[in-house]
Amino acid sequence: MIGGLFCYNHKGEVLISRVFRDDIGRNAVDAFRVNIIHARQQVRSPVTNIARTSFFHIKRSNLWLAAVTKQNVNATMVFEFLLKVVEVMQNYFGKISEENVKNNFVLIYELLDEIVDFGYPQNTDTGVLKTFITQQGVKSVTKEEQAAITSQVTGQIGWRREGIKYRRNELFLDVMEYVNLLMSPQGQVLSAHVAGKILMKSYLSGMPECKFGINDKIAMDSKGKPAEESKTKSAIAIDDCQFHQCVKLSKFESEHAISFIPPDGENELMRYRTTKDISLPFRVIPLVREVGRAKLEVKVVVKSNFKPSLLAQKIEIRIPTPLNTSGVQLICMKGKAKYKASENAIVWKIKRMGGMKESQISAEIELLATDTKKKWTRPPISMNFEVPFAPSGFKVRYLKVFEPKLNYSDHDVIKWVRYIGRSGLYETRC
Amino acid sequence: MPAVRGDGMRGLAVFISDIRNCKSKEAEIKRINKELANIRSKFKGDKTLDGYQKKKYVCKLLFIFLLGHDIDFGQIEAVNLLSSNKYTEKQIGYLFISVLISGNSELIQLIVQSIKNDLASRNPVHVSLALQCIANIGSKDMAEAFGQEIPKLLVSGDTLDVVKQSAALCLLRLFRTDPSVIPSGEWTSRIVHLLNDQHMGVVTAAASLIDALVKKNPEEYKGCISLAVSRLSRIVTSSYTDFQDYTYYFVPAPWLSVKLLRLLQNYPPPEDPGVRGRLSECLETILNKAQEPPKSKKIQHSNAKNAVLFEAISLIIHNDSEPNLLVRACNQLGQFLSHRETNLRYLALESMCILATSEFSHEAVKKHQETVINALKTERDVSVRQRAVDLLYAMCDKSNAEEIVLEMLAYLETADYSIREEMVLKVAILAEKYATDYKWYVDVILNLIRLAGDYVSEEVWYRVIQIVINRDDVQGYAAKTVFEALQAQACHENMVKVGGYILGEFGNLIAGDARSSPAVQLQLLHSKFHLCSSMTRALLLSTYVKFVNLFPEIKSHVEEIFVADSNLRSADAELQQRASEYLALSKLTSLDVLATVLEEMPPFPEKESSGLLNLLKKKRPGRVIENPDRLDEHVKKEPRETNGTSGLTLASNTEQEGGSADLLGLGVPSAGNGNGPTTNGAGAVTNNIQKFYCKNNGVLYENDIIQIGVKTECRSNLARLALFYGNKTNHPFMNFQPNVSASPALSLAILLQVKQVDSTVEAGAQFQQMVNVECVNDFDEQPDLNLVYNYNGAPQTVNIKLPISINKFIEPTEMNGEAFFSRWKNLSLPAQESQKIFKAAHPMEATDSTKAKLIGYGFQLLENIDPNPDNYVCAGIIHTRSLQIGCLLRLEPNKQAQIYRLTTRSSREAVSQHISAVLCQQF
Repeated sequence: MIGGLFCYNHKGEVLISRVFRDDIGRNAVDAFRVNIIHARQQVRSPVTNIARTSFFHIKRSNLWLAAVTKQNVNATMVFEFLLKVVEVMQNYFGKISEENVKNNFVLIYELLDEIVDFGYPQNTDTGVLKTFITQQGVKSVTKEEQAAITSQVTGQIGWRREGIKYRRNELFLDVMEYVNLLMSPQGQVLSAHVAGKILMKSYLSGMPECKFGINDKIAMDSKGKPAEESKTKSAIAIDDCQFHQCVKLSKFESEHAISFIPPDGENELMRYRTTKDISLPFRVIPLVREVGRAKLEVKVVVKSNFKPSLLAQKIEIRIPTPLNTSGVQLICMKGKAKYKASENAIVWKIKRMGGMKESQISAEIELLATDTKKKWTRPPISMNFEVPFAPSGFKVRYLKVFEPKLNYSDHDVIKWVRYIGRSGLYETRC
Repeated sequence: MPAVRGDGMRGLAVFISDIRNCKSKEAEIKRINKELANIRSKFKGDKTLDGYQKKKYVCKLLFIFLLGHDIDFGQIEAVNLLSSNKYTEKQIGYLFISVLISGNSELIQLIVQSIKNDLASRNPVHVSLALQCIANIGSKDMAEAFGQEIPKLLVSGDTLDVVKQSAALCLLRLFRTDPSVIPSGEWTSRIVHLLNDQHMGVVTAAASLIDALVKKNPEEYKGCISLAVSRLSRIVTSSYTDFQDYTYYFVPAPWLSVKLLRLLQNYPPPEDPGVRGRLSECLETILNKAQEPPKSKKIQHSNAKNAVLFEAISLIIHNDSEPNLLVRACNQLGQFLSHRETNLRYLALESMCILATSEFSHEAVKKHQETVINALKTERDVSVRQRAVDLLYAMCDKSNAEEIVLEMLAYLETADYSIREEMVLKVAILAEKYATDYKWYVDVILNLIRLAGDYVSEEVWYRVIQIVINRDDVQGYAAKTVFEALQAQACHENMVKVGGYILGEFGNLIAGDARSSPAVQLQLLHSKFHLCSSMTRALLLSTYVKFVNLFPEIKSHVEEIFVADSNLRSADAELQQRASEYLALSKLTSLDVLATVLEEMPPFPEKESSGLLNLLKKKRPGRVIENPDRLDEHVKKEPRETNGTSGLTLASNTEQEGGSADLLGLGVPSAGNGNGPTTNGAGAVTNNIQKFYCKNNGVLYENDIIQIGVKTECRSNLARLALFYGNKTNHPFMNFQPNVSASPALSLAILLQVKQVDSTVEAGAQFQQMVNVECVNDFDEQPDLNLVYNYNGAPQTVNIKLPISINKFIEPTEMNGEAFFSRWKNLSLPAQESQKIFKAAHPMEATDSTKAKLIGYGFQLLENIDPNPDNYVCAGIIHTRSLQIGCLLRLEPNKQAQIYRLTTRSSREAVSQHISAVLCQQF
């Protein structure tokens, strides 16, 4: 049970302070500021215990969001809640910043009152919240509307109200994946996994029932259609997954079918993680040579490793430089490279790059003699990119919509599927 | 300096304001990284930097360092700055070096060279900067490099005063790191004469230096006394207008005065009457000045004045030779006792505590008793009250003890919890020390328990009982008083303990009164029984069984109590045991036996209540002001008047170390009992390793501090040793590490398995360590026990052998004569036999002890098989993991020649030799 929620700016000034329970005193606000925001050492742990009070905090841009409790709560629940609060706020007024929070504090208090009750998190679904908390001030609600809201929020399908109508029934699916990699200098994969999520935007009339098929190994096997399987691409092994509350879990358990009545608008339908058979979109080959004590030669080759027809975007390679760098000369064949002293790194940016291509950068780094005997630790080279496919091999096999009451069928719905692969922590040791 | 650039260093100012404007830590780090990269490229660049730029960048680096980031370059540039002629550049260079350069830097040679140049410079500012830098670094290297030059600079005629001042302080700093920096002899008188310098700054700095030197070597610097006194008298007698710069709020040179007064406290009062007279004059003047009306209302004025005054009073106390000064000091402090300023009251009380210990001023201090007691009652500040308690304790003697103890008892009720325990101890000590009437003493202690029972430690009530038992005349009174005290509705557990013990011993003395008849006493005690802890209950059970002896008429009541389930079947083993044993005692035995067993406790050995004093010292280490032992004198005047019969006024401190635990042997395992470290012969170390060939259990090693016992159990090729470590002292052993090891050769023959033990052995405690041994092969060495621990802060080691030898694995074998001799003959190869002829060390007639030794060694003694009845014949089998070794032995005594012939035969050569070598030393 969350005792209270505080929001501070980077200086530690309180922007939002909402106490839900009596056991949290006023001094808790100061305790967090003194012990965490203004702590001498940077506080790494997101959970801190001060005088038998637990503080759970997250940081967004320059804002601190802290939940306080005196009880033994489920920490993951609290963090999930904090993330939800951030998501709700983003949905209401865009980027989270000090100014936005200050401009919207009435709204934030209103939202907080709605999504927490006596410290227990309630409905945090933006779609639902937006039906009765609007930014256009107080909306006068008729009795019927009020009754409708009550029955929806308390009813079985709390995430969707009845009577939605669209002229064009559309459905967008984004498969978004983050590839994480740690590779040894010799090209050996030390660890790799993909964290993916499926974002859905639905503009469908009525109360449609959807069915969603993916190339999950278990689901495919349970279907038992070996003939079909041989034709399609091989299935993938999903390590774990979690669904939006609209998905009927009992059906997933028994039949491995993902079936649901989608919430209106934008939503995250599913999250999953895979660790096997990941196709790594890029390979980074570093070559570091120390020429005496005053010079370092670095050569980095980047190879793209996907179909030539595809085009990767927003490629950025970050090569750390030693702490005693006094000057850098760079030559690169493609893109732009720059030595960023404030970050102690060379940043090499390439706008676009096709599949099965290769590019390289060479840098001469001049070093200044220092009196420390410590050797440079050589942090890994990290990389950012965006590719138009799912590196885990995830595929949407089908998405069917059934609306028995209204007269549109599966064929009338316009469906869009998009795959995006992005880099998470994509590092190569050098 | 060019006007455009100025001293401002705009770049630095911009950088600092950038950092200050950073919104987050990350932004700050980014800005710093950028700046560092910029500075690196500037330092690396081909263009040579001018002094201004170097200074600016070095300043930035310094700022970054002070923000908490590591700086690992720029030292060269800083060192370059040292050779600049501009003050600002040089200063920044020195600043960087004193902040950032560690002693073992490679650049230290360069720096030393630069400093040397500056020291030799004609510009006094440069010299001062160099001196400052030396003092700031203050390393051993610096001391070595400049130990020669600075003293020269200090005493040279043409050094400026400001430089001399710096030099004196710099030298002081170096002296603190390396006392050998100041050569004795030639410099002594010249340094001492600095006290005569014209310049007050130099004198002040020199006074600090000389004070440090005197502390190291008082004899050599004795000359400073007269100089210091004359300097002091010049300051004290001068008007405040005389020292322009060195008058602080109308007080002439207060710091110098304080330093000089402190310097003089390093020596006894001056012997030369002239100097002595001048010093007294000075001190008197200071005391007089304190009486003058203040020249300013500012706090600084009175602070400076009082600082000098208090230092003068400490000197008076230190000298302790002029009664009239002491009395005057005391009166002066008395005035402060009622001063508005809390700090003054505190300081006055603190100084008075010391004054009270002087015989001259003790009486004078006593005059202020009223005020002090008043302070105790009305003072708001707890630390001042604490000082007041200290002072009362210190000023207490025979004449005012009763009053002071009474006041302290009264205060105890309202005292702060933090000082109660200490106060209780003080009251207990004072009451005991100055008791003339033991009834009063008993009253005081019982009051103490009543008022602050929680804070009365065990030792306090042990002590009352001890005294009551030793003094016949108070026993009746004590019994009556405790009886009355116990009648209170709620009384403290400690009271129950004292009551239980005293009534158990002396309840009969008040049994005549119908109001305190035996039955009433028992009922009273038992009414408290259920509220007490098990330790007190156990004590009460003993009291009850003593009642059985004292008052046979209530025997049945007592037995009822013992029989009660809560006692006879108590969950507490101790209570259960006592109840059942006492019950049996009262039921079964005759009155005579009962009377003998339950006789009155014998008097305790007389000793001072040092236990309490020790306890007090332990509570506040370094802060205990002694209550001066004026009693000693008293006893000397009336020799042995009270001594002998009194347990209290025993003056000699013979058994100080006796510790507190053994004040009363109340079943507490005593650490220092009789064989404590002081009573035991000094350095007596027993190492019984030789004896362990023939026995399995006993004390292996013993010295003043530790005792190591061994218990051995053997079965075929396995043996188990229990090592018992006993701490014989009153201090715990820290880092206690017993280490059992075998030599490489030995470790092939036996396998050792040692249990880990705690690293701390509490005082008086004993614990055991198990060592499992398996014999793999025959061997003739013994494993080592290497014991390392810290006792009382000092590391101790004990290196001994563990009594594991091959004979521990001998299994005695019974056989008849025929079998023996046939085997004897089988083992007739020369290598299998080992024969020794040796003189008897012990009487040969004691055949029993010889037999016992042979059996103890592990053999079966085969009697009546040898033709000569005097001969001893033995057999045994040594079990090892790999094989069994048969072993036969004959010991033939020759009584006329007092020699033995020992013949050992076994299937292995080494074994025969080892056994005979060991055994020939045993008989």
